[in-house]
Amino acid sequence: MMQLIWNGLIVGSFYALVALGYSMVYGIIKLLNFAHGDIYMLGAFVGFFTLSAFGISNETSIPLLLVVLLLSMVTTGLIGVGIERIAYRPLRRSPRLAVLITAIGVSFTLEYGVRQIFGPNPEAFPIRLESSGFDVLGMRVTASQIVLVVIAAVLMLVLAHIVERTRQGRAMRAIALDPTGAQLMGVNVDRVIAMVFFIGSALAGAAGVMAGAYYGSIDFLMGFIIGLKAFTAAVIGGIGNLYGAMLGGVLLGMLESFGSAWFGGEWRDVFAFGFLILFLTLKPTGLLGARVVERM
Amino acid sequence: MRDLDLALKHVPLRAPAPLFERPQPPKGVFTSQRGFMRALGLLAVLLVAVLPFMDASRYTMSIATSALIYVMLCMGLNVVVGYAGLLDLGYIAFFAVGAYVSGIFTTVLGWPMWAALIATIIACITAGIIIGAPTLRLRSDYLAIVTLGFGEIIRITANNLKITGGPSGIHGIPSWSFGPWSFDDGFSLLGIDFPERVVFYYFVALVVIVVGVIGAGRLAKGRLGRAWKAVRDDEDAAEAMGINTYIAKISAYIIGAVWAGMAGQLMATHLSAISPNSFQFLYSALILMAVVLGGMGSTPGVIIGALFVSLAPELLRDFAEWRYLIFGVLLVVVMLFRPSGLWPATAVLPWLRRSRPTPPAFTEATAVPASIMESVDGTPTTDAHEGDRA
Amino acid sequence: MQFGSRRRKRLLHVAVAAGVLALTAGCSSGLAGGGSEATDDGPIKIGMLAPFSGSESAFGVYMQNGAQLAVNEINAAGGVLGRDLELLVEDDACDATTAVSGANKLVTDGIVASVGGYCSGATLPTLPIFDEAGIPMVIPAANSNELVDQGLPGVFLINGTGDQQAEAAVTYAKQIGATNVAVVDDATSYSADLAEAFTEQATAAGLEVVAHETITPGENDYSAVATTLASQQPALVYWTGYYQEGGLIARQSQDAGFQGVFLVADGSVDAKFAEIAGEGYIDNVVGTFTQTPDMIEGADQWIADYEELAGDPPGPYSTQAYDAVRVMAQAIEDAGDTEFDNVVAGLEGLKDFDTFAGPLTFTDTHTLSGGGFVIVAIDPATGAFVLEDDLQG
Repeated sequence: MMQLIWNGLIVGSFYALVALGYSMVYGIIKLLNFAHGDIYMLGAFVGFFTLSAFGISNETSIPLLLVVLLLSMVTTGLIGVGIERIAYRPLRRSPRLAVLITAIGVSFTLEYGVRQIFGPNPEAFPIRLESSGFDVLGMRVTASQIVLVVIAAVLMLVLAHIVERTRQGRAMRAIALDPTGAQLMGVNVDRVIAMVFFIGSALAGAAGVMAGAYYGSIDFLMGFIIGLKAFTAAVIGGIGNLYGAMLGGVLLGMLESFGSAWFGGEWRDVFAFGFLILFLTLKPTGLLGARVVERM
Repeated sequence: MRDLDLALKHVPLRAPAPLFERPQPPKGVFTSQRGFMRALGLLAVLLVAVLPFMDASRYTMSIATSALIYVMLCMGLNVVVGYAGLLDLGYIAFFAVGAYVSGIFTTVLGWPMWAALIATIIACITAGIIIGAPTLRLRSDYLAIVTLGFGEIIRITANNLKITGGPSGIHGIPSWSFGPWSFDDGFSLLGIDFPERVVFYYFVALVVIVVGVIGAGRLAKGRLGRAWKAVRDDEDAAEAMGINTYIAKISAYIIGAVWAGMAGQLMATHLSAISPNSFQFLYSALILMAVVLGGMGSTPGVIIGALFVSLAPELLRDFAEWRYLIFGVLLVVVMLFRPSGLWPATAVLPWLRRSRPTPPAFTEATAVPASIMESVDGTPTTDAHEGDRA
Repeated sequence: MQFGSRRRKRLLHVAVAAGVLALTAGCSSGLAGGGSEATDDGPIKIGMLAPFSGSESAFGVYMQNGAQLAVNEINAAGGVLGRDLELLVEDDACDATTAVSGANKLVTDGIVASVGGYCSGATLPTLPIFDEAGIPMVIPAANSNELVDQGLPGVFLINGTGDQQAEAAVTYAKQIGATNVAVVDDATSYSADLAEAFTEQATAAGLEVVAHETITPGENDYSAVATTLASQQPALVYWTGYYQEGGLIARQSQDAGFQGVFLVADGSVDAKFAEIAGEGYIDNVVGTFTQTPDMIEGADQWIADYEELAGDPPGPYSTQAYDAVRVMAQAIEDAGDTEFDNVVAGLEGLKDFDTFAGPLTFTDTHTLSGGGFVIVAIDPATGAFVLEDDLQG
């Protein structure tokens, strides 16, 4: 039981980190950024590339991991900004579905671009976290899991601080409420949107590096499933709401953990999606989402 | 004000008489939108009919049949997304239901295909209601994730159950047969042999053109179609105008489901084997892409989109490893330059754009009471052409 | 108005005329013309369907290179029936639709034999196409029993079937004295079949199957399976999927406290497995596998040749694809021509043909007579799997 919760929490923190980016972007420009999961994949590959370039392999040091983490975050953040600039900004006034399709196109491009560069085989990530485990409260916990949860929590706290306490964060919230109004009040909308993409992509990139270090294997399609799951998590939590994304991520992680324990692994996703449908039917705006009137 | 109320009470409400005689809409092939579209449609049908005479090789017939089935599928999604404005990210689920139901009925129970078709349609209507009903309260993005979830549930269930053949799916699905004669036998006419693949291709083409394209197009122009578009453009306003949005939405789902089910049935017959791998989320995204790429709600656009999505990977086959990359880049580029699709629903032929009919000069007979003129301030601008846009 | 409709009619006439013209012109591949038949001169074309896009795309490359190596060797030695072999490769994306159009393309391109087939779900719909076109198939990787259950005359499997591999796994489990075992599959056709066969045979052999888990491939977190294994503590767990997930499960289950033997099936036998699992997680890993080049004396040269051609070391199904081409070439050579019946007879007549999986003779059901499965273990120094036990004693 405790073990299931702990397992769910670990998976949930990955979902949450990726879901945050989804939710932030959605909150501010109402775009389902399908390419977001692939940014996670890019983060892992940026880390892999940097480490391989320095000839590092089978390393276990945590400081090195943090350095790589930061580097990947900056890189994926910039890539995210680049994608927004090239593919999404010109379409800001177009039908929303057109942008959605563009996002799918970007997703394809990233996935198969990486495939062309690194090949279709999975790669082993050069940093592996120490994973000797110990038993506590009836569950088995490894050192790497603790490191992982701590990093995820720190990143989320930093994000919460940025959004709630800084000028930029206020600008983001203003745009989410009313883009035109915000612009009239002197907010540089383009810059803030770019910033949102930077932060969201950096978080996904961080999650990618962490996944690489924790699980040890990365491949060009690794972002696809987690992108779907993060999207689900964001919706469960109420899309557009940051705490909702965190909550949704952890909740989805738990659901899957319990689902596979109760029904077997092959029915896990059926259980998770079935719950989602039932839940949304009863509470159509997600846990923390606000009802908004919107048009396609 | 009270006087007006009283007056209105006794006067039956009637639409105001037109201010002037509407000119007859032009009808020529090149001088009117409708005429041109009809000619174009005819030409397309002709090309489809002639194709096997040009190239009846297995490969051509195979991809042409698949492409036609994609057209059917996309026409169905177009009803859901293009007309009714319901974002469906799990549309492939209906395709799967159609394929699996007909596969199971023909292989396990040994029904002939035409009987299985009826079962398929019933199954798809049920699936449409099951998926449609809980989602009616939801709006776009929540709807998207719920439909996505349904798509995954159907695929995973098919992968796990015994009756659906598990991960390797169902194989040995028979072709269409009527009594003792089956498509497999082929036939010859005027000294030309029509092998199975060609007969089936014609059959698919016939079904797709008649049911898929014409059927969906007619539906869209009718009462139901107008209700869909009203719901799409503004659900609250549509409801206020007396449209039962519940019925409009669920009927869009059902029609979409039946179209996809029939496409699935054709696909199952065409491939003779189906497996859960063909119903992944990726394919839902691809079909949606076809619809949006072509132009939502636009019949010619959706056909173009469907052909693009089904044929592009084939044409890019020689670049096997590069094709999805090329595909992705192409998609972004097309969307950047034509965000409302290659052939948007509101497209007007370029040479017709300037030749809108101008209303005739005002005469005494058509003069409008001065009071109205004052409030409108200027000549009424009619848009007689609006209704003709196909 | 009058003008317009006349214009339309004229357009119609033009179109009809064009159609009739096309009809009478009778292009060579059109209905009226003759079909394009394989010609007797030029290279003998053999086709291969394998996944080059999608989640299984890693394996297509291994298969293509293995087959190409065989083709190059055969051509260097004078070809078949005095003609060169030519390998045509198409993507099946592990998807039925893509596979069917790929198969049709190969038939249209005039292949006389097929040596492809990786995913069973994508290979099944191609069988009737090849069968109808009179093209014999030697399927190197896909090994679902349903492939041969249809009884099509031209279908031959050279990968051991699930039953044979499961037998090897059960033999090994008994050999190490296990009483309780577990099995994990990845919900793909190959893996689920094998897991099913293993469960049946293990139960029949008196072993207790304490858990049968299924995972979703392509993910990273398999803690649910790991937790189950740790709590049930079977003496042996049989993983029937591929190395991507296999390495992760091996690692995560040990982290969770699983201490038994981690037996993997042939899809996981790859040097990448050790890399993904990581140091310290490979001591308990063994695999069921057909003999590989590095276990056979004198195969170093083969690996060197492969690396020279591909630039990478060989992977899963490289050897099977290589053998498929050689088997097919031999059968054509024996048949004396490329006629369907003769080649099938040639394939059926093969006796103790030398392959990586040992001497090959097809059974009546067109599968391998013996699976040729052995037990392999990871060499800690290189991470590669090496022969551990040939299960002969």
